[in-house]
Amino acid sequence: MSTRTPIEVVDLALKAVDAYRREDLAARLALTRHRLLDPAVRVLVVGEFKQGKSQLVNAIVNAPVCPVDDDVATAVPVAVRYADEPGATLVGEDGSRTGVAVDRLEDHVSEAGNPGNRRGLREAEVGLPRSVLAGGLCLVDTPGVGGLGSVHGAVTMAALPAADAVVVVSDAAQEYTATELEFLRQAARVCPTVVCVLTKIDLYPDWRRVADRDRAHLATADVPAELFPVSSTLRLHAVRTTDQALNQESGFPELLTHLRERIVGRAADLARRSVAHDVRAVVLQLTTSMEAELTALRDPEGATDLVGGLQVAKQRADALRERSARWQQTLGDGIADLISDVEFDLRDRMRQITREAEAELDGIDPALVEEQFAGWVRQRVSAAASATFVWTHQRARWLAGQVGEHFADEGGEVLPDLHSRDPDSTLGRAVPLAFDAPESFGFGKKLLVGVRGGYGGTLMVGMLSTVGGLALLNPLSLAAGVLLGGKVVKDERKRMLEKRRADAKAAVRRSLDDVVFQLGKDSRDLLRELQRDLRDHFTTRAGELSRSLGESIRSAQSAAEAGREERDKRLLDVRAELKRVAHLAAAADALAEPVGSAS
Amino acid sequence: MSSLTGEVRSVLREAIEAHRDDQETADLLRRQLDRMDEPLRVAISGKVKAGKSTLLNALVGEEIAPTDSGECTRVVTWYRHGHSPRITLHPKEGPPRQLPVSRDGGALRIDLGAAPESVDRLTVDWPTQGLRDTTLIDTPGIASVSEEIAASAVRFLAPEDAPGEADAVIYLMRHLHRADLRLLESFQDRGAARATPVNTIAVLSRADEMGVGRIDSLMSARQIAQRYRADPRLRKLCQTVVPVAGLIAQTARTLRQDEFTALAALAAAPRNELESALLSVDRFTRAGEGHAALLSRFGLFGIRLATVLIRQGFDDPPRLSAELVRRSGLDELRETLSVLFAERRDLLKARSALLALDTVLRERKCPESARLLSTVERLLADAHELAELRTIGVLRSGAVQMPAEAKAEAERLLGGEGGAPWSRLALRPDAGREAQRQAALDTLARWQRWAESPLSSRAFIDLARVVVRTCEGVVNRLSDD
Repeated sequence: MSTRTPIEVVDLALKAVDAYRREDLAARLALTRHRLLDPAVRVLVVGEFKQGKSQLVNAIVNAPVCPVDDDVATAVPVAVRYADEPGATLVGEDGSRTGVAVDRLEDHVSEAGNPGNRRGLREAEVGLPRSVLAGGLCLVDTPGVGGLGSVHGAVTMAALPAADAVVVVSDAAQEYTATELEFLRQAARVCPTVVCVLTKIDLYPDWRRVADRDRAHLATADVPAELFPVSSTLRLHAVRTTDQALNQESGFPELLTHLRERIVGRAADLARRSVAHDVRAVVLQLTTSMEAELTALRDPEGATDLVGGLQVAKQRADALRERSARWQQTLGDGIADLISDVEFDLRDRMRQITREAEAELDGIDPALVEEQFAGWVRQRVSAAASATFVWTHQRARWLAGQVGEHFADEGGEVLPDLHSRDPDSTLGRAVPLAFDAPESFGFGKKLLVGVRGGYGGTLMVGMLSTVGGLALLNPLSLAAGVLLGGKVVKDERKRMLEKRRADAKAAVRRSLDDVVFQLGKDSRDLLRELQRDLRDHFTTRAGELSRSLGESIRSAQSAAEAGREERDKRLLDVRAELKRVAHLAAAADALAEPVGSAS
Repeated sequence: MSSLTGEVRSVLREAIEAHRDDQETADLLRRQLDRMDEPLRVAISGKVKAGKSTLLNALVGEEIAPTDSGECTRVVTWYRHGHSPRITLHPKEGPPRQLPVSRDGGALRIDLGAAPESVDRLTVDWPTQGLRDTTLIDTPGIASVSEEIAASAVRFLAPEDAPGEADAVIYLMRHLHRADLRLLESFQDRGAARATPVNTIAVLSRADEMGVGRIDSLMSARQIAQRYRADPRLRKLCQTVVPVAGLIAQTARTLRQDEFTALAALAAAPRNELESALLSVDRFTRAGEGHAALLSRFGLFGIRLATVLIRQGFDDPPRLSAELVRRSGLDELRETLSVLFAERRDLLKARSALLALDTVLRERKCPESARLLSTVERLLADAHELAELRTIGVLRSGAVQMPAEAKAEAERLLGGEGGAPWSRLALRPDAGREAQRQAALDTLARWQRWAESPLSSRAFIDLARVVVRTCEGVVNRLSDD
């Protein structure tokens, strides 16, 4: 078995496309290479507050990077990833970046230094030279959830689909509560890999029973997650005193193995498959013109027919770039449908909240419970927004899959039958002359694994930030949106209770209108951006195809015009070149095979 | 006995008379009347595994409520003072039946012999000093995985239709979660004797775990409690927040000689040996026989604390026990309970009875209803003690705009921190009577001025008038006897 690394295969392919002056294909491979060099396996560490999330991250990387306190500590998400030199960067809400010293991080991300994230940071990034992070693992320590209905909860939930895995942290003081289980259930729906960690097992004598009960709860709730009991205190102590037995006892070796093999390993596997796919696609483009030339060289009389066939194919490929192509229609219609559905869904949910709020207001005096009431509305709104988001996300992914499928169907029809029936050609087997059908899209966890590994994989990885962007925008803009006017409810002297109620109702309606407007605009913008991304992606693919066919026509024509002697010489050359390309295809195929040694 | 209690009794008697043809309602009202003579009912509530049963045991000083690492209390359980131990099960349907009383190493074992869902409540009568003045009610945890069990607790504490059963509520929480706030809010909307901040106190339970078992854990728990006390969301829901290490309090109050001997042996062992054994529960359990039992009684933090204390010279069981109780925060909790609940016992009970009567009269009409209702309403509106309670609630809800110092003073004057004149006037307990009277007169004059100022808002004037009346009462009391 070939031992080429993915990066070597990509470099090989880059050399090949350079030789044939296909800079359009080179751009695509350069992107693949860039992704390969900077792998990021984003693992979100989430849970209720005070469960030991920050300490868990600290114990994994063996450095006090995340602030830990007896009181609520984390106010801003902290992303810890590999770097050659330790360093920290603060990322503002507007995307601005400021470097800080790692040991001053606490002043910016802790509840004490930055209460309620008043400074409006989106997250902090910490780079550490640790081997555990070397595979691209990026651990994100998040502020405590404080219940699914909270704004924090909605933000966390919305960030999940963009993560490769989520670690749900709960301490051994008690078994899962109903809220935690509900969170787990939802998380399993949007994130491919869920890992449960039971912390503080050094402190609770009954942690084994708690672990058993939690496993039973997971099984009942049908959440396919493994549970790891660990003790961060023991781990840190073990590392300090280099005590192997204690390290074993801390439960960390199992957790780290799981992170490395099942999460980072799987991501690396997907990356390999995605490289194999890209390289194979490039090989296909290259061989199209070689095969055409070979056919023409072997049978110069039939070259006119061949060129005719290729010209028809090129026209079809060009048509793929037109607006009238089926995939373009699927995309346009799909996005339009999605936008109107999302708006309807949002409006419907908000109307429901308005109705409930009005019924509630009829029974209370808004002057007395203003803050509670506003809090209640805010909670309901963020829960509704989060539900809409998850649903939009699933539909958007499905649509992207549909478009990919339609494009592959049409693209497959474009290519003419180029089987040269050359006895020396091994390409018939090595490179099937058709587009790979994208792996099937469906809901659930298969979806994500499939999406990232299959044809849509490369596309999806790039697009994730777009879809993920939806996550970061909404709940924050809505938190600012739902503020009931203070003056409405404070002026007691002149106004009667009824008047106060009517005013409060109007305030609710107004602010919910604002929310629908704001969220509607956000999601519309993001869906449009998604549409543009998808269109550009497939148009580029169609362009590559058209150019390959153009080259084929040219080489077939020149082959037909060449003299007999020259033809024989060229025949040998082309066969040799095809063999080289076939070699590249074989290397790509080797990548796609599951690696035997890892399992 | 205050005049309010007397009036409440007489209106209850009249109502029973008016409903004599309706056996069920009459019984219901008679129970309310009996309740006036019974001890104050304090419900202990909170999320699942907050340490409710443990705290109950600590308060009683005996292991009567079963505790376990799993979810343990599955039905609402009343612990009352009785002459002999007796456990009675009240099913939702059918007559009550007795359950066998069996103890397992000091702890009471209760075998329901029925599905928890079919049980309305359990009553445990127990001969102990700790229950003489207060009936404690243990409730199942909120946010339990079993929806039905959690719902039964909410039903008990915040019933939709029936009069509330508890006079006051101790709310336990490990940290302030949203679910905690929501639940505390629902107590206020209805039920739990229509809780106002005055009859609810919050306890930061499992305080020893806050600092993951470090020896200074209780100090940081105190700081966190301090922060919660200042949290406006919590201020309007409860009177105060007290940190308590429930497990240590419970064990300290039931400390046994053999446990002390074992702890003393540990304290005498070389320090680094002990420290390495105390790294984790698993290590400690492996390190010696009987350690598992010790661990379940004290917890890792308790053992660390107890051995340090023994080394510091608390080297006999009574002294160690007393020091552990002091450190656990139980003394502070008991002090708070006595000032906030016990002193106001009659008032809280009268209030519960009036509210219950109000509900009954509105739902079960009789010819006398209208007249009785107007009496109830007059009592609820006019009784100054109740007006004080209500005003504290208004103050805490933040509905009245006023300076923070004035707010704090008003709350203290209204009896928010204790009913004695010195406490209301923010003086020392040993302040002379004349000094107290002078302070009361000064305060009265100041609040009178505020109450009459044309610049004050309507809401503030209403509030100031209640404070003025309170001050007048204090001045009278200091001048009279």
